[in-house]
Amino acid sequence: MLDSSRRASILRLVEGPQTMGRGPGFWTGFGLVLLGAIAYPFFADSYDVGNNVYFFNWLFMAMGLSLIWGYGGALSFGQTAFFGVAGYSYGVLTINLGDAYGLTLLSLVLAVGISALFAAILGYFLFFGRISGVFLGIVTLSVTLVLERFMAQTAGPQWAIGAARLNGFNGMGAMPSLTIPWFGGDITLYPDVALYYVTLALLVVVYLGLRILVNSRFGNVIVAIRENPMRAEMLGYDIRKYQLATFVIGSALAGLSGVLYTSWGNYITPASMGMTAASLPIVWVAVGGRTDLTTTMIGTLAVLVIFQSLTIHGSQYALIVMGALLVITVLVAPKGIVIALVDLFRRRRSRQEGGA
Amino acid sequence: MAILETRQLNKRFGGLHVTGNVDFALQPGEMHCLIGPNGAGKSTFFKLILGEHLSDSGQILYDGADITRAKPFERIRRGISVKFQVPGIFRELSTRQNLTIALQHHVSPQVLSEEIDRLLEFLKLADDRDKQAGNLSHGQKQWLEIGMAVALKPQLLLLDEPTAGMTPDETYATGAMLQDLNRAGMTVLAVEHDMAFVRQIAHQVTVLHLGKIFAQGTIDEIVADERVAAIYLGESDA
Amino acid sequence: MEFLYAIFSFLYQFGDAFAFLVLSACGLAVIFGMMGVINLAHGEFILCGAYVSTSVAHMGLPLPVAIAAGSLAAGIAGMIVELVVIRPLYKRPLDTIVATWGISMIVTQGTLIVLGTTMAGSGTPLGSFVVGDYSYSTYRVVLMGMALATLAALWLMFTKTRFGILARATIQVPHVAEALGVNTNLVYSLTFGLGAALAGLAGGLYAPTMTLVPTMGAAFMVEAFVTVVVGGADIFLGTAPAAVVLGLIKATLTSWQGQLAGQIGMLIAVIIVIRILPRGISGKILKERA
Repeated sequence: MLDSSRRASILRLVEGPQTMGRGPGFWTGFGLVLLGAIAYPFFADSYDVGNNVYFFNWLFMAMGLSLIWGYGGALSFGQTAFFGVAGYSYGVLTINLGDAYGLTLLSLVLAVGISALFAAILGYFLFFGRISGVFLGIVTLSVTLVLERFMAQTAGPQWAIGAARLNGFNGMGAMPSLTIPWFGGDITLYPDVALYYVTLALLVVVYLGLRILVNSRFGNVIVAIRENPMRAEMLGYDIRKYQLATFVIGSALAGLSGVLYTSWGNYITPASMGMTAASLPIVWVAVGGRTDLTTTMIGTLAVLVIFQSLTIHGSQYALIVMGALLVITVLVAPKGIVIALVDLFRRRRSRQEGGA
Repeated sequence: MAILETRQLNKRFGGLHVTGNVDFALQPGEMHCLIGPNGAGKSTFFKLILGEHLSDSGQILYDGADITRAKPFERIRRGISVKFQVPGIFRELSTRQNLTIALQHHVSPQVLSEEIDRLLEFLKLADDRDKQAGNLSHGQKQWLEIGMAVALKPQLLLLDEPTAGMTPDETYATGAMLQDLNRAGMTVLAVEHDMAFVRQIAHQVTVLHLGKIFAQGTIDEIVADERVAAIYLGESDA
Repeated sequence: MEFLYAIFSFLYQFGDAFAFLVLSACGLAVIFGMMGVINLAHGEFILCGAYVSTSVAHMGLPLPVAIAAGSLAAGIAGMIVELVVIRPLYKRPLDTIVATWGISMIVTQGTLIVLGTTMAGSGTPLGSFVVGDYSYSTYRVVLMGMALATLAALWLMFTKTRFGILARATIQVPHVAEALGVNTNLVYSLTFGLGAALAGLAGGLYAPTMTLVPTMGAAFMVEAFVTVVVGGADIFLGTAPAAVVLGLIKATLTSWQGQLAGQIGMLIAVIIVIRILPRGISGKILKERA
């Protein structure tokens, strides 16, 4: 009895002050978008469907960055470090363990766990050392740049873990895809319709779960730390623990992106942790509006689609467009373009209502 | 037994003693004001009590326990609470959320909402509950932060110039509110410049000068003390 | 004798690491120390200095002139960036770091599109000399001298010249400086330009020793970052001692395990130092003195 009422009160947190989208209008829209996403494979070529899972793969990292940077106010510029660590871990584990008996799923969990552990160790030094602001940004960025350089020089045969060669600059390939054990034969999640649905389901679960998290007591504290860390501490919160927990959760999501990406393309390279790779999540999250999960998702998808359509047409200008988008966003709409549009729309509507 | 006691508390910045061997004791239930010219070390003394700075030597006892090296949040959990000089609020969050964050610690979820409403009434902020705290008037921000500090139900409330920037009416109302809280058992230690306010609330007054305790007594004794007048005049000469 | 050779070898390694740290970091440190802005386009000002100086050297002008031209070009580029992007963001230092990252992306990719994947270098000048069994590059010894000369010049500039004194006044009490008739916008512009010119100088100096590619700026970033993190906001009390300490760590690990180990070791040392000294070395020193 108590349990069910507690469960209900937790579920109610899916709406709250820390998330912009609320009310029947928003959830109707959410339902329609979700229906559209579910229906999409019926109207498209399964090859395209599998390819487009690519876009979903990155959203986990984007939401994690929104949590750390947008909600928590901590400039973590090296989320790609956790993406890469998890991606490589998945490769090493699956090449050694194989893909029978659902061992790829175990590898997924372990790989995400390794990236979370790495984040916990790094985060302990940073947050318990009370580093903040720009310093946090440049240390985390340094970490990912050094990891890239480390992985780039692992070309020699001595750089192997078990059967898995790290392969240096060229990257590691030929790891098995995620496989779900099933009656009458395992389901291998090649880039195809099945993978699409699994990733979509995971995305919905993570999105709703994060909404509940940011509207919970925990979420209240992390936004309080963003707004005024001293006041938060002087209300009795050990802010270092909250910052660390936020960092670990957000980085684990970057790790999840890394595993999904590696399994999707059966491939990961050191460049996934380099300067360019590190800058892209910043663009996605800043452009949409990092302080809200929904605007982060919309912005990330929009920017990814623009970027991808530019590169597919062979344009070298894609990265220039990304850089310009970032500069313009910071100068013109510092909260993010989607949030600025929502604000504009609300202001106009309230003016109309006021006039009527 | 004193609720707060400092023994030979020292803090130097470079060669300068900003707090020099301060022995200070505060009795439970007291309303005590700290005054003194600018640079007397009042703010540093507060920061030492809160743990924002650590002392170079000496001891701080709270409720009999040594908290000299305790972290700021540990001191808060023991029952100290503070209102900063510049309103320390969460500017982009609503008034209601500011109070939620202060209360959610120790108030069960079932009664949280009632408690927030009661506090909003008490602070006369009920109409502005959904306003962004950064958009409140200056006086309202001060009240909101006092509300957040009080929400912890502290035994000892520290206030750093709580009425700075308030109108005389607001100042008086703040004093009355603090007296209510004091009657309910809260000990209050305030740094304050406004003498009318000090006269309204203080049982005892301590004058700090050059990092040392210069004089102590009731407001009438302090006002009558020519040496105290001299250090303030000295400042206005400078 | 063997022992003396080993000591020389280590000192050379240390000097090399020290020079690289100082020259990579001082432009970043000047801008951060004076303006509170971390310039993530720092690497691209280095790139600018390297490309311009190499082009000028290809025209047949002597190397010192070429390096000065590279530094000047980066300085001018810095003042333009300050005017267009940094100035509107003074009240939002955390946004500046993001905006300069955007500039970095534009410049790196723009260079790739316009000038291609690589540029022909000018070759390391001055040859080498032999001590014991190993030969050492003379040019790298010159770089060590340049690092010390740069620090000395900065010290003179900030303590002895009118610009330096006005700049420090502006940074410490902007309102007062403004009330006294200092053109604070000009001071910010010159300070940012100086930081960019120092980055350009590093690019020009190291251009003869490196492969010139559009992403070369990133190769300096880790060193520049860690030096500023350890050194904090003060270039003399912070950056220089930080470069000494980090140079020792890097030289030790490099001579033991190679370049990459030096870099990784340095980063790990920095992360551990953060836990102990959150405000960096100069924060610690300044706190003691304040």
